[in-house]
Amino acid sequence: MMTVLRVELSKVFSKWRTFIGFIAIGVLVPIVIIAMGLEGNTYFSFATQVLRQQFDFAGNLMNGYTVAYIIQGMLYIHVPFLVTLVSGDILAGEATAGTYRLIFTRPVRRSTVVTAKWLASMLYTVLLVLWMAILSMGIGIPFLGTGELVVIRSTITIIAVDDVLWRFLAGYGYAALAMMTVASIAFLFSSLVENAIGPIMTTMAIIIVFTIISAIDVPLFDYIRPALFTNHMNGWRYLFDDPVNWSKLITSASVLVAHIAACFTATMIILKRKDILT
Amino acid sequence: MSTVIEVRGLRKVYGDFVAVGGLDCTVEQGDIYGFLGPNGAGKSTSIRMMMSLITPTAGTIKLFGQPLETHREAILRRVGAIVERPDFYNYLSAQRNLELLGRLSGADVSTRSINRVLGIVGLAERATSKVKTYSHGMKQRLGIAQALLHNPDLIVLDEPTTGLDPHGMKDMRDLILALAADHKKTVFLSSHILPEVELTANRMIIINRGKAIVEGTVQDLLNAGKLRVTIGVSNAATAASVLGTAQLPHDIQIADNALIMMLERSEIAPVVQHLVQHGIAVDSVVPVRSLEEYFLTITKEAA
Repeated sequence: MMTVLRVELSKVFSKWRTFIGFIAIGVLVPIVIIAMGLEGNTYFSFATQVLRQQFDFAGNLMNGYTVAYIIQGMLYIHVPFLVTLVSGDILAGEATAGTYRLIFTRPVRRSTVVTAKWLASMLYTVLLVLWMAILSMGIGIPFLGTGELVVIRSTITIIAVDDVLWRFLAGYGYAALAMMTVASIAFLFSSLVENAIGPIMTTMAIIIVFTIISAIDVPLFDYIRPALFTNHMNGWRYLFDDPVNWSKLITSASVLVAHIAACFTATMIILKRKDILT
Repeated sequence: MSTVIEVRGLRKVYGDFVAVGGLDCTVEQGDIYGFLGPNGAGKSTSIRMMMSLITPTAGTIKLFGQPLETHREAILRRVGAIVERPDFYNYLSAQRNLELLGRLSGADVSTRSINRVLGIVGLAERATSKVKTYSHGMKQRLGIAQALLHNPDLIVLDEPTTGLDPHGMKDMRDLILALAADHKKTVFLSSHILPEVELTANRMIIINRGKAIVEGTVQDLLNAGKLRVTIGVSNAATAASVLGTAQLPHDIQIADNALIMMLERSEIAPVVQHLVQHGIAVDSVVPVRSLEEYFLTITKEAA
């Protein structure tokens, strides 16, 4: 397995498209941090203008943690697309290039190849989230300093400086899980087609449609909403409740894990039965 | 001598379409085995089933005496193959492609070992070039290199000369002959290019519509049936009418100072004798038995 995984990682990290995600995040995150450093207080004042009528805000509130929290909230807008660039291509790319014939005529089980490819795409996904975490915290904290994290949702939660870091680490772990769900869906679609465009577009379309369904408050959708992975991708926010809402967090994480397991199993069955005709 | 490939009743059906309709064939150790058939005969589908890329609808495939279904990994460790086009990871160099594929086959992937096989196929000087810069012929040779890297006992080549120029085709033929003679490999050579098989294989099968039509040694198959005989004569039209009145071969083509006809070997002497007795000067008799003639005849009969 390790040999096949090393081979798959070598292929993934020899492709230009693999680095598009790292470059995009490498450009986007510093821009957001710089913008927040320059205009963040205005943004924060605007976001809290109603609250300021009743409360006084003091201290370095537009700090590195706040920016990292904002950036993590943006994760679900652009990172899924970056994730699918690799996981949508990892199987379909072999079909496009005709190289299924090369790998499936080696003395390696198909299940081993599929598992190695899935692990490679998951590793890429985790590295992408890690890269975002490193940039957000690594640039944000030295540039904007630390301070209490003010989380404004339906309620205001103020998290003390010494209580923030572990929440972020756990939050990035959850974010990785959410992105692994997206990657697994793209991986499944990648096994069905012979062109990487299909899995990328289909996965993004599913995210958009499911997000809309999750957002529309119609009783009909109440039954399906809990099962939609998009409804749980933001579950990392439970880590920033005080106290942490572990029950909801674990439920959401379980839904994501179930999606990952289902996609992986379906891909395995498809690939094991697939006649290689390309 | 042991049996390397044994295929019995191999079938592949897609809906109503029968791609392979009950193929039987046997390849012995040391053979260069020609696998012939017109386009669409089921050659590539058969090879894909032998290489476990396609699941057969029915039938058995044994390689090295073991069923492919239950001993896939052990068998594939001893097989090197090019299945149809020589596709590679174009964004990697030839050396890197071989290294990655060799790892999957459990081969020695040292630079020395890789350069050795690249040397065999004449690509050592381009080892570090990305495959996307390779010509089709170079990719075909790289295909051979990847098939040889793990030193397999059986090499399966599916249309290895497709797209090659005459020099490339000759190089490929020489390489195939050398693999069998010098490296003691068994070669399964699929082709629709008849001279390629005629010049390299010792045994062959002709398939059509996914079924074997004939199987045997190339020499035996060449000697079976009628020959195309060209008889050089002084006056072709007169000679043809002489033969026509004698009710000797009716299917006679008249060329410049020659008659061309299909004859059994035993019929050649009476025809020549008849012509001479009727005052027709015969200056040459050229019997030709080509695989192409045989192939066209036999596939037409099967159709």
